Amino acid sequence: MSTPKDLLTIESLSDTDIRSILKGAAEMKQVFCSGKTHPALAGKSVLTLFYEPSTRTRSSFELAARRLQADVTTFTVATSSVVKGECVHDTIDTLMSMHMDYIIVRHKNSGIPAVIGRHAKASVINAGDGAHAHPSQAFLDAFTLQEKYGELTGKRVVIIGDILHSRVARSTSTILKRLGAAVAYMGPGPLVPQEKHTGIPRFTNWDAVFEWKPDVIYLLRVQNERMDTPFFPSADYHNAFGVTEERLKRIDDLDLSIMHPGPVNRGVELCDNAMEYRNSLICNQVENGVAARMSILSYLTPRTQNND
Amino acid sequence: MTSTYIRNATWAPTGEKFDIRLAPGHSQVVPEFGGITISDAEVSPAGQMNIPERARIIDAAGKLILPALFDMHAKVEIEGRSKRESVTRTGQAAVQGGVWGMLVQPTAGFMFDNSAALDSFREAVGQRSAAEMIPAGCISQGMKGDQQAPYNTLAARGISILSDAGERPGNLLMMHRAMKYVAELGMTMAIRGDVPSITANTCMHPGTTSYKLGLHGTPACAEEIGLEIIVRLAQDAGCKLHVQTVSTAEGVEIIRRAKAAGCKVTAEVALHHLLFTHENVGDYDTNYKTLPPLRDKTDTEALLAGVKDGTIDCIVSDHTPCTPFAKKQDFPSAPQGMCLLDYFLPTIYTYLVKPGKLSWGELVQACCVNPCTIAYPDVIDAEEPEGMPLLLFDPQAASVVTEETLPCGTLNTPLLGHTLCGGVTLPLQ
Repeated sequence: MSTPKDLLTIESLSDTDIRSILKGAAEMKQVFCSGKTHPALAGKSVLTLFYEPSTRTRSSFELAARRLQADVTTFTVATSSVVKGECVHDTIDTLMSMHMDYIIVRHKNSGIPAVIGRHAKASVINAGDGAHAHPSQAFLDAFTLQEKYGELTGKRVVIIGDILHSRVARSTSTILKRLGAAVAYMGPGPLVPQEKHTGIPRFTNWDAVFEWKPDVIYLLRVQNERMDTPFFPSADYHNAFGVTEERLKRIDDLDLSIMHPGPVNRGVELCDNAMEYRNSLICNQVENGVAARMSILSYLTPRTQNND
Repeated sequence: MTSTYIRNATWAPTGEKFDIRLAPGHSQVVPEFGGITISDAEVSPAGQMNIPERARIIDAAGKLILPALFDMHAKVEIEGRSKRESVTRTGQAAVQGGVWGMLVQPTAGFMFDNSAALDSFREAVGQRSAAEMIPAGCISQGMKGDQQAPYNTLAARGISILSDAGERPGNLLMMHRAMKYVAELGMTMAIRGDVPSITANTCMHPGTTSYKLGLHGTPACAEEIGLEIIVRLAQDAGCKLHVQTVSTAEGVEIIRRAKAAGCKVTAEVALHHLLFTHENVGDYDTNYKTLPPLRDKTDTEALLAGVKDGTIDCIVSDHTPCTPFAKKQDFPSAPQGMCLLDYFLPTIYTYLVKPGKLSWGELVQACCVNPCTIAYPDVIDAEEPEGMPLLLFDPQAASVVTEETLPCGTLNTPLLGHTLCGGVTLPLQ
């Protein structure tokens, strides 16, 4: 049985897919850290199609593809060209004519990668769509936690911040639950969906978080760019929901880990000292991002080969 | 021309069996309060009519006779097609679905805010449409929500219902004044409940599915608050109000209370709000993107209960043709709208009547009698009114919905591939 063509969501993967990609990430990390390349994508072409600004995800994917010996093309979509009524299908037809094998796409609208995936023979990898999914982030998060803790069964992860707009929260909570971990959400009331909709415990203050006895504090970036009308009084955020010096001390005492998908708003989600905290996994996440993406790219099966 | 005889017809609302003689060229039914009478026809109990041997006879054994349906809410314009073709195809779709007439909502191409637009539309309908099409006049000029349309001019052209086709009532002061104005003309305002500042940039009902898909939810309370506002404004203005496409359980309650308080309010529900929920959106299926969005199962049940107890007066198609390309876009970008008109009666029969959720009597009330009473306010008092034609319905027939069986030619329907029960014969001549 061949592996999936696309990576659109964590939900679309089988347990075997998830385990295999995580196992592959460990192998790829050795290749990556030793400075070597792996021929998994030799002769293949990879396109990054980012309709939204991104620094780390895009460069992480491009680095991963090059380490797998693929040709990498960057398709720059100027914000000004993304006009209303723009036909994604036509863009994809153009790209297909260039015989791309992998398309890595990010878009502000939920569901765009699925539209492209249905239309394209190439493997489509969702690098973040709206508030829907960010599966490669989920893999690098799960891989980072496995490195730290081994098996994740019974581990407790609280994701804190703007859950409503967060594709990271959705994908990372899904993969962690699939791997046996417990997940909770905490954030300002309007930014945390109801538990009856998410199936995930919902908190709105730190006391409740500490009471829940988490192992990992996962902070999300406050996405001001997605908030047309304010969701909360922004002056309150750090004191009410951020990791303050005081909370950092408590986190340290309890020996909890801190994670963040980046980029960090210093002084909002995290106080300065938290960046250098001994149990911060933030830099591990970035490093593991390349390994996880190498594993994802080498796992998928594009349908373009049949046409060769 | 000779008379047509229908033998052994079962009158759907009551189950009584009749023989019917239709006068040449006529098969009209007159809606009345509390009942239905057939005009231009002679009726006697089955087997008792003296039917000439060489007469034109329709054997209706095992089939049902009922008044053809009237749809209070449909859009005719089909993007990318000429106005004439839009009218022709929508008329064919309506008749195939058992609908003989419809109230046509204004759209960009059919902007009913001036007499010229009404004249050219009526001309196209007269030449091209198999179904009766009554235009709803615009509430505001160009449906922009800031200036009143010329109501006297529209009234003089026979317009009795005003609608901005589900556009949000933005300027409430303009709306209040418009209501006071048209109250004097006896016109009805058809409006949907909404609070635009709450529902901007949303695309589906908030719940498990919207969370999973990362889509912004349209809270039910926005529709309900908007509904309270328009009910209060209409009450204050003394204006007749027809609430369009109620979609929430609390919305039904608001209308129930308003009616009990004596407000001149009627209401409609779109068929898709009785059949589907937000969970049908599944994995971004844009055919289930509607305005207002598909709600929860509890809402669906409350809406159906509202139809059965008369709180909701009409079941409508809210027929909104969209091009295949438009619906192939991602969910937030795709337009709202669904097409059930081509199979309107078979869909209602298959999913509501056959499973026993809705009786034939309730169907005739909500799809024939009430809509005509609202759309033709003059009919009630007129001495010799025109009525609805009859249709013959074969509950044993079944058809599979394919692209070829959709006269409207737009494919934004979740019915494709489904087998529907019931065959419609309309007109009966």
